[in-house]
Amino acid sequence: MKEPINLVMDAIDVETFLACTSEEEARNTMLEIMKRMGLNEAEIVFVETIGPGARVRARCYVHKPGDEYRWLRGGRKHG
Amino acid sequence: MVEEKKKILLAPLDPVHDVGLKMIRRALDEAGYETNLLPPDLPPEEIVKNMIAYKPDYTLIGRTLGYDVETVLSRLVDLADASGLRPKMKMVVGGMPIKPELAAELGFDAGFGPGTTPEEVVAYIEGRLEAEQHTKVLRQKPKIAEGFSYRFVNEEIGRLCSEIADEALAWASERTSPGIERSQIRREMFSLQRRGDSAGVEKLRREYAALCDSFIKPFYDLGQTVGKTRLLSESELAALNEYAAEAASRLVPRRVRHSKERPLVFTQYGTGCPFMDVAHIKVVEAWGADGVIHFDPSWGARHEGLLEGHITHEEDGSPITPENLALIKHSLMPWTLWQVRAHRGLNTPETVVLAGEMKADLTKVNMVYGSLGAGTDPERLVVDGTEALRLAAEYGLPYDVVTNEELCGVPAYKAFAGMLIVATMGIKLGGRPILKPLFCYSPEVLINGQMSDNYVDFNAAKLMALRSIIDAPVWPGEPVGFMTHTSDRIQASATTMLHACLASSLDAVAVTISSSDEAFSGGPISAASRVDTLRAVTEGMRFFGKAKIQPTEKAEEFARGITEGIQKVLQQVKARGSFVSALYEGLLGNKEDGVYPGRAGRQTVRTRST
Repeated sequence: MKEPINLVMDAIDVETFLACTSEEEARNTMLEIMKRMGLNEAEIVFVETIGPGARVRARCYVHKPGDEYRWLRGGRKHG
Repeated sequence: MVEEKKKILLAPLDPVHDVGLKMIRRALDEAGYETNLLPPDLPPEEIVKNMIAYKPDYTLIGRTLGYDVETVLSRLVDLADASGLRPKMKMVVGGMPIKPELAAELGFDAGFGPGTTPEEVVAYIEGRLEAEQHTKVLRQKPKIAEGFSYRFVNEEIGRLCSEIADEALAWASERTSPGIERSQIRREMFSLQRRGDSAGVEKLRREYAALCDSFIKPFYDLGQTVGKTRLLSESELAALNEYAAEAASRLVPRRVRHSKERPLVFTQYGTGCPFMDVAHIKVVEAWGADGVIHFDPSWGARHEGLLEGHITHEEDGSPITPENLALIKHSLMPWTLWQVRAHRGLNTPETVVLAGEMKADLTKVNMVYGSLGAGTDPERLVVDGTEALRLAAEYGLPYDVVTNEELCGVPAYKAFAGMLIVATMGIKLGGRPILKPLFCYSPEVLINGQMSDNYVDFNAAKLMALRSIIDAPVWPGEPVGFMTHTSDRIQASATTMLHACLASSLDAVAVTISSSDEAFSGGPISAASRVDTLRAVTEGMRFFGKAKIQPTEKAEEFARGITEGIQKVLQQVKARGSFVSALYEGLLGNKEDGVYPGRAGRQTVRTRST
């Protein structure tokens, strides 16, 4: 059976605009969102906070170089 | 040339939208076909009546509107089938809502989706597309370094380069190094492998290991892995080959350039893992890159010896081994240009041997940047670099001579003087060097303000200066826009696109672009970020086409300054009487500029025995 996330070649980026007041708040909020989406070990790739809030992009690597790439086997859970 | 003048009927199955078919008709007319374009908004019954009357070899149906598409097209196919025309006539459908799968399901012989060019349709009619991949264009591998005389336009600079190069070549010809000896052993290993002499290969492998340093040697002597590397398993290799073949079979390349044949667009790969490299290469091939550049780990330049086997690496840079290179070569589409860099370290000649044996298209050699900006001893790199130039000429590999020392702070004119000396050495050895100036926001311009108004003038001045000196190919890199990127992918894609379009405007033969992850240091480059910049550059090339970016009058002033600076540096090097001494003494970049002679490989050069 295919596990959808296994088909991610390397990283998942999530990009949005947060209504917040500081860069620190934007970073923490975005990382919390990622965590609640099940994307642990996320990091902030880009954040720009001006006026009404922050444009922010977070990334979670699913496969890093040197890993065993599950997409090689069509995303199947086993084998 | 059309041998039998085929008849093509074109029918827009829409109320008004027939622009696409008009474009295709023009391309077919130019290719010598007889065409008949019906007016829009005819019902299927009327179109079939026209088929019966005209007796076309092909009927091309255009459909832009998405509503009711399956019903209308099915009816048309049914009517055509009932008329008895199909055995002698192929039916093709194209337009916004069309996918090849839908076309096949409805009974068409082929289907073309959005983004199809008229040339692709002509190629299909002429049988140059595989029937099951209706939009696949058979691309030819381009030639990058042909059509240049390599004649110096500036005679004084040509004379100085020639005299300095003669001195350097004579000096290097009397010397050798462990790097040269390993390259000779590696070459002989390939020769014995081809003859099936495995015992001979093993004997040479032991000789090779004896010339490696303490970091590499345990790999050969004890089978130990090196640094953060591991050997890939047989099952991983089998899965990769299956993946790459399957991806290639579905690969329908986009076209980056719109109306020009140049610049060829290159991207760098070197994720650390040859598997991920293959996956990223398939991505950039699909999004239209013309060539890919192998990026090796930084430690590969500092150690004596290369590894063997299918080896993956957890950090940036993919290890250069014969097996890794063979794996990558095997995965490339036939038209993709492939560069294996050999420019900066202790394995420079051997890397050229590997590039040549693995049928790479290009390599990279630069003894000035390698010895001033990348940590290799100047004496060692001039000896090894000269051998690399000789080998590149022997294997017929063009190579670029890059000026990355600019990023360390060396002014462009000094970096260019070094580049021209190395290029002249290469020309004298029968090679085809490609000049590679940086399009970058360098320390020099930050301090002196040449880019305080725009990024165009100083970058344009570099090409103007080089063209006023020598008739040689110029390939801005590496990647263009260095130091102008941020980790905002929109900004990074925009600056990449603009620098690439400037290279196009200046008629460069090629350009190397980054991904939109260029300024992100938190992890490996992602596949999506490679698509970002290729999409941006495609859009830029479409926007500008053959139109030019107009530099201000400052560009000519900058170009004169660069040219005068080059000549002054060359006079100093000539007066010093030794290219190698000039490197040690900072004539081509010094500590005040931000560079210093490297130490790796110091005191390893020996005089050749006579």
